[in-house]
Amino acid sequence: MSQSDDTGVAASAPFGATEPRHTHPLTPLANGARFLPVALLAGIVLVGQNVDASNLVLGLLLTAAGVVVISLLIAGLSWIAWRRLTFWFDDQGDFRVASGVLTRTERRLQLSRLQGVDVVEPFIPRIFGLAQVTIEVAGAGDSRAQIQYLSRADAQDLRNSVVARAAGLHPDVGEAPQQALVAVPSRDLVISLLLRGSTVALVLLTVVIVVATLMTAGPVGLLWILLGGIPLIAVIAEYFGFYNFTIAKSADGLRTRAGLFQVQAQTIPPGRLQAVEFVQSWLWRRKDWVRVRITVAGMASDDDQNQSGSSFRQVLLPVAPYDVALSVVNEILPGVNARNTPLHRAPARARWRAPIQHKFLGVGWDDRVFVTDRGRFVRRLAVAPHARTQSVRVTQGPWQRWLDLATMHLDSPVGPAKVIALYRAAEEARQLADEQNARAQIALKTDPAGRWMQAGNRQDDS
Amino acid sequence: MAGKSDSTFAPPGEEWRPISPKLAVVRRLVMLFWLIVITAAVAIAFSVGGYAVVAGAVVALAVIIVIWQWWLIGRQVKVYRYVEREEDLLVTSGILFRRLVIVPYGRMQLVDLVAGPFERMAGLASVQLHTAAATTDAKIPGLVPSDAAQLRDRLAARGEQRSAGI
Repeated sequence: MSQSDDTGVAASAPFGATEPRHTHPLTPLANGARFLPVALLAGIVLVGQNVDASNLVLGLLLTAAGVVVISLLIAGLSWIAWRRLTFWFDDQGDFRVASGVLTRTERRLQLSRLQGVDVVEPFIPRIFGLAQVTIEVAGAGDSRAQIQYLSRADAQDLRNSVVARAAGLHPDVGEAPQQALVAVPSRDLVISLLLRGSTVALVLLTVVIVVATLMTAGPVGLLWILLGGIPLIAVIAEYFGFYNFTIAKSADGLRTRAGLFQVQAQTIPPGRLQAVEFVQSWLWRRKDWVRVRITVAGMASDDDQNQSGSSFRQVLLPVAPYDVALSVVNEILPGVNARNTPLHRAPARARWRAPIQHKFLGVGWDDRVFVTDRGRFVRRLAVAPHARTQSVRVTQGPWQRWLDLATMHLDSPVGPAKVIALYRAAEEARQLADEQNARAQIALKTDPAGRWMQAGNRQDDS
Repeated sequence: MAGKSDSTFAPPGEEWRPISPKLAVVRRLVMLFWLIVITAAVAIAFSVGGYAVVAGAVVALAVIIVIWQWWLIGRQVKVYRYVEREEDLLVTSGILFRRLVIVPYGRMQLVDLVAGPFERMAGLASVQLHTAAATTDAKIPGLVPSDAAQLRDRLAARGEQRSAGI
């Protein structure tokens, strides 16, 4: 599953402007086909509701016909859109996409502000051998372009030439070589998913739902459950999503790749990492496994909604031994060992506010990062570089006030990692905030957010 | 204990600037308006349904809430303070839930000047700061519009000078 398989393919783009080109001609068909599963489900539900058993065959035939007609209609509309969509690099070397049938839009993405490039192979397009490229630049609101769909090799070429141009290199330079770091064995993934409190809860919930449905609605109800009523599906989807997870190191950042049906690939540039969280479920402790979740600027728009923290983009490693996870994080935060940072524990009276986790609350820092620890059954060790601190906060509810406690927060962009020093002595919380503010301001001056990738970086490695 | 906590959120030594007490009037009116609308709806529904006693209880409860909120809003507006320092802005607020936020000027991405309909009627405006983090939540309400505009410009200028991306 190595990405570098495709690098030999010659990209014909000259350095500078390129001719506008279309996406792959199979795109409309793939779009039509993508609709099939949804349409089928909707059709079955309609048939199930409106037709009695005598008309079942007729109903199913009608549904099938309807689904085919609608899919063809979508493919037709998609074909019109496909004809009008072109993309190219302009004279300044920036990326442009022209699209729209009734309203024409031309979007220009300034590659010097590149945040990241993703190559995703959604399930149905993947059957056609197609992939989608998402290019995102820094900016408020919608500052991305999605190119749907290209052949796998073309998608890889486009990604490489965007990255090369962003770094000021010749677009034909190909992909930066990568060095595999970790591959998550399927067995570990399954075991880790099973050894989670939430999975146990979901299994119980599923059993309750199935039994309750059988008792109230009879066997017919099972059909409804199958159409999405099973909470356990979330766990199975997670397994499919992280199947064959690999992480590799290259000059442009860490590359993750995973998926059984839909294959996703992401590059995490070092400078875009805002915060990291090591999450260890209670049952993982014996094996010393950990999941690493990350907050990355940009590249979040869709996933902001997903608060579960299990979407592909929010996960750097779905499961790995702790020391392996630390060494991977070390690749993006050199010289940082989160687990060895000395932690100051919360005062003993914090037990009156947090009777379960009070012994596990901690905060620490070194000259590069701020670290917080919390959670009794699910341990969460969060790390944020000083240079990425957006603001600091101190909060105190009535109960904390009574106990003379306060909580210090380090504000990061929206993401799964939450850096929070819970229930410190009130004076200490304020001191933590002031000191962190000072550290952040020094880091702000010496380490402003870099560009996506420095040209020099990459040549060193290749 | 209270004294200690006060110094946690607004230590002496800084020139903490209060916001306009007129904001309390605005907030109290808004609170009254909503409580009266909701209480009336619920109470009427109960009395029509024949539960006059319940309706009476709802009204009594509403009166208690009004008194409590009236007092709380006054206190809240009194402790809402901010200070512009050399490199950062501090905002503190809250009675039951106390809060202090410190935002370095270099992290500010946007500074908004906002005035809702009720604020406008009272001749007030708010300045809202945004960083790349949605949780930053640094808002200074209850400013005289001309002051608010000046504050906004000052903050924006400092942000511009020290801007460092995210």
